[in-house]
Amino acid sequence: MSKDLYKGYRDPCLSLLKRHDVTVWCELEAQTSRGEFHGLLLPRSETADPYHLVLKLDSGYNIGIRHDTVQNLKKVGYREANYKIPEQEFPRDPEKPTVRLFGTGGTIASRLDYRTGAVIPAFSPGELYGSVPELADICNLDTEKLFGVFSENMGPEQYLILAERIGEAIREGYDGIMIGHGTDTMHHTSAVLSFMIQNTPVPIVMVGSQRSSDRPSSDAAQNLINAAHAASHGPIAEVVVCMFGPTSDRYNLLHRGTRVRKMHSSYRSTFRTLGDIPLATIEDGFVNPIREDFAPRRSDRDVLVQAAFEEKVTIVYYYPGMQPDVIDALAEKGYKGIVIAGTGLGHVNRKIYPALERANAAGVQVYMTLQTMWGFVQMYVYETGREILELGVVPLANMIPDVAYVKLGWALGVHPDDPEAVRRLMSTPIAGDMTDREPHDGYLVLQGGVPESAKFFTNVWK
Amino acid sequence: MSPRPPSDLNPRRDPALDFPDRDLGELSLEDYEQIGFLGGLEVHQQLDTRGKLFCRCPAGRRVTNVDAEVLRHMRPTLSELGEYDACALMEFKTRKEIVYLLDRGTVCTYEIDDTPPFPIDLEAVKIGLEIGRLYGLNLATELHVMRKQYLDGSIPTGFQRTGMLGLTGEIPFRVPSLGIDRPLRIRQVSIEEDSCREVSDLGHRITFRTDRLGTPLTEVVTEPDLRTPFEVQAAGRLIAQVARATGKVKRGAGAARQDVNISVAGSRRIELKGVGHHRRLPLLTHIEAFRQLNLLRIREELRNRGIEPPSLPDGRAFSWTTSPLVIEASGHLRRCEYAPIKDAIDRQERVVAVRLPGFSGLLSHRTQPGITFAREFSERVRVIACLTDRPFMIHSDVRDYGLDPTQWRAIHSALEADNEDAVIVVWGPASDADTAAREILIRASEAHEGVPSETRQPYLDGTSGFERMLPGPDRMYPDTDTPPLPIEDGWLAEIESRLPELPWDRENRYVEMGLSLGEAVELGASRWAELFDDLSPANKKVARRLAHALRKRIPHHSRLGREAPTAEPIVPLVRALEDESIRLEATEAALDALIEHPEKSAVEVLASFKVTKTVHEEVERLCGRVAESAKDLTDRSRDVLMRWAMGEVMPHLLGKADPMEVRQRLETVLFAEEAA
Repeated sequence: MSKDLYKGYRDPCLSLLKRHDVTVWCELEAQTSRGEFHGLLLPRSETADPYHLVLKLDSGYNIGIRHDTVQNLKKVGYREANYKIPEQEFPRDPEKPTVRLFGTGGTIASRLDYRTGAVIPAFSPGELYGSVPELADICNLDTEKLFGVFSENMGPEQYLILAERIGEAIREGYDGIMIGHGTDTMHHTSAVLSFMIQNTPVPIVMVGSQRSSDRPSSDAAQNLINAAHAASHGPIAEVVVCMFGPTSDRYNLLHRGTRVRKMHSSYRSTFRTLGDIPLATIEDGFVNPIREDFAPRRSDRDVLVQAAFEEKVTIVYYYPGMQPDVIDALAEKGYKGIVIAGTGLGHVNRKIYPALERANAAGVQVYMTLQTMWGFVQMYVYETGREILELGVVPLANMIPDVAYVKLGWALGVHPDDPEAVRRLMSTPIAGDMTDREPHDGYLVLQGGVPESAKFFTNVWK
Repeated sequence: MSPRPPSDLNPRRDPALDFPDRDLGELSLEDYEQIGFLGGLEVHQQLDTRGKLFCRCPAGRRVTNVDAEVLRHMRPTLSELGEYDACALMEFKTRKEIVYLLDRGTVCTYEIDDTPPFPIDLEAVKIGLEIGRLYGLNLATELHVMRKQYLDGSIPTGFQRTGMLGLTGEIPFRVPSLGIDRPLRIRQVSIEEDSCREVSDLGHRITFRTDRLGTPLTEVVTEPDLRTPFEVQAAGRLIAQVARATGKVKRGAGAARQDVNISVAGSRRIELKGVGHHRRLPLLTHIEAFRQLNLLRIREELRNRGIEPPSLPDGRAFSWTTSPLVIEASGHLRRCEYAPIKDAIDRQERVVAVRLPGFSGLLSHRTQPGITFAREFSERVRVIACLTDRPFMIHSDVRDYGLDPTQWRAIHSALEADNEDAVIVVWGPASDADTAAREILIRASEAHEGVPSETRQPYLDGTSGFERMLPGPDRMYPDTDTPPLPIEDGWLAEIESRLPELPWDRENRYVEMGLSLGEAVELGASRWAELFDDLSPANKKVARRLAHALRKRIPHHSRLGREAPTAEPIVPLVRALEDESIRLEATEAALDALIEHPEKSAVEVLASFKVTKTVHEEVERLCGRVAESAKDLTDRSRDVLMRWAMGEVMPHLLGKADPMEVRQRLETVLFAEEAA
């Protein structure tokens, strides 16, 4: 209890507060060597230094006061914050499709506690309706908060639960599934769900935001609205990611779960389909497919859920000068599968060949993908490639390394004792994870600064 | 908990309703006291740093180039009380498309909110601290960056990053010409990023340039201590002067802008936003004070008529269809010949009519020069409903306009309006017309409160128009992207060691040099103060004459496009005045000659102004000649004759001869006979 009274304060501030008999949420008059300050004592962020008190002034500003400038603290009042997100009941309309929204955490499911700056979860239907009332015009929404973790803490344990719960929700008859997710590893989750949940009759739409919903310029509302359109009445029954197309508030893209990747740390338009084109755009409530080879929505409930994951799988990002003991160490530690992100067409240096051979002999499955992100593994062009193939390394065409990692974890989980079955699964495209062909615009990284890009950007919303 | 809002109300609640409307310049300090005039300033001053505050783009470059455009919207976020801020909601109701024009050289991905902030620019923080020190503030020991929400689109994030540097100070406020000699209380100084420059605002689309965005600013807030429009102007000048004393702030157009807060007895704070020139402040604030007084008169009239405010269901977000005060009027206006309405109906737009119970005659009540109360409604409609094609509104107080009497009668009867009611007819695209109807009802209900909290846009003629609702105090949130910054004692010591001379210290120095306080204040605030210092006149007489000459002549030459002189050519003149080789009366003429003939050497120019040994003979000769001509003028009075004679002689002797000597000599030659 005493901890809460001095939330976040450590010595020397803690003893200063105790000495003057004040706690957080006390209104203070502070006499200091830099003058007199009046305000409300706020909790201190645990990651900030221990030397300053934080006051909220009447003007709304916060200000820090260093402990050794304080001459006197006088309590003149007490106003404790009791922060709660307002809730409004989400209206139901039997005429509208019903969507299940699973919460896993991340920016989209959080809001700022305005006084302390802490991020707090916000995910109930009432909270969502309170901040994005437009959702009620699109569908009925049932939400379930499965986890409250940031993207980087999503992992195999969560994948299994999520896949099972989605399978159940589909069988319960929902018209679509939405998953609120942190953006950093959204493409890992979208890929693993693409393998674990096959033949889905309804859309499974992953959605997140790059700017939290407490910011007026947040992308959360547009992403949620468009994801709700895709999930509730969209025609594409696949695992997809629904995020901004351009950085402007124009339209969203639906990316196939196995071909999408987060490509910028902070841009709104960070998700891109690699080596292919996206499935659809969503604008003004309409889902407009831009290709025809998607799995269409069905009315049956014949979904196949294979929730399994072998955790002893890793990605090795190759670099010149890599030592063989990196591979040996993984084999010794009991890793069952390694995805190499090789250079160029799928190469590693000759020095590690013996280690790859030893790993193969020990039953470790080794696969080759590309750190170039775009393009196909082609190990016949150069002699190095042919040599590596002979060491038992299996090429994975144009599978994105992150996708190969989750696919291998899944395949080894499904077939723990059948290496051949795993190799077959890995070499067979299951959900667009490998494609037969790359369209000419599957690789499109515009070069800024050149005249043709400059001309292009005078005609489009960036 | 919500922070206690700073009181927006004028401390006096008794409006001076009987005080007549007067023009600026017709009122005394006592008059303004009677109406309860109170003004305060928020001065935004760009700092002269290399880079912007939270990214490493260059600051202070003004461009017209456009490489790309970004389109965004701003959504209101819930306040901590779970309500949408009135301002926030208003902005969202306008459903604006916000367009940002990007230039590669001045903007990076930070400004368009696609990259988190970089560490705050320490150069800017230190300048801000120095400015805070000059205002005598208590300085923070740790800077916390906050987010201050703005939903008008002027900042792509939807908030301005800002941090409090210091609080509670005061500076000497001495303006003898206005009878001011008291401290000016400064509430606070914060450091913040500048917003975008607006390019256009048409209908549902507002366009901004982003070059200025992110430039470091200090915001200085005074207490509402200014008692007349001229005090507001003087305070603005003083605050700018203090900031300029650092030598580290930007100057020129747009580098300093002020928001002015005005209230009168019975009203509440109204903000006039973004006034660029101090000379515009008196008229703007004077007119605003009387606008408020007139709104209070309208409130009083509504009370006298016993009118209740129209009931608005459910706050501001209601639909007009639930109100009996609004009808869709298109049906009654099928045969309307008034072109704007006819065209709107042809375009299948919506026409709505709104009844304002008990408002008859009030819409034509004058609120600002040439502007009536109806403008308060049309401004709201223009801004919030985005109706831009004027006219989009007519009202029943101007009956002989727009509709014919039959049509007015039809609408009145459809609305069940009687002679005590006013009716407003507004038209536009359906959803905008709906918004307009709602806003008209909201504005009408606010008429019962008197003066609604608004931010107003100042116009060049001194009037102002509605810009947005004044944001509440709940729009300030901690910026979780930026860690707190300790403000080290070492920085303050460094600032202390190189403090510039403060305006009041400079004024005191001028007083010691021989100027009156009024002259000292004026000189200190002038552009030629530094020139004066460089010339450093050595005695009181010369100092005073020089200050006078600079004040008279420098503006004259700059109006003619001549460059401001440097000290170098003028120093010889000052030395000559000091050793009396040039007489004080010649100061202005000699100064003019030096400025007009930069190609000549100072010695050459000054030669003709020097007192010569033969000056007495010259006086004698000229006086003699004048006495000769005066013979035809004997019928004139002595005074007239003397003035004429001095005017004939002095131009030839200016600066060379003592005027007293000339006068005595003339008296002798002109009136010698008489005396005899």
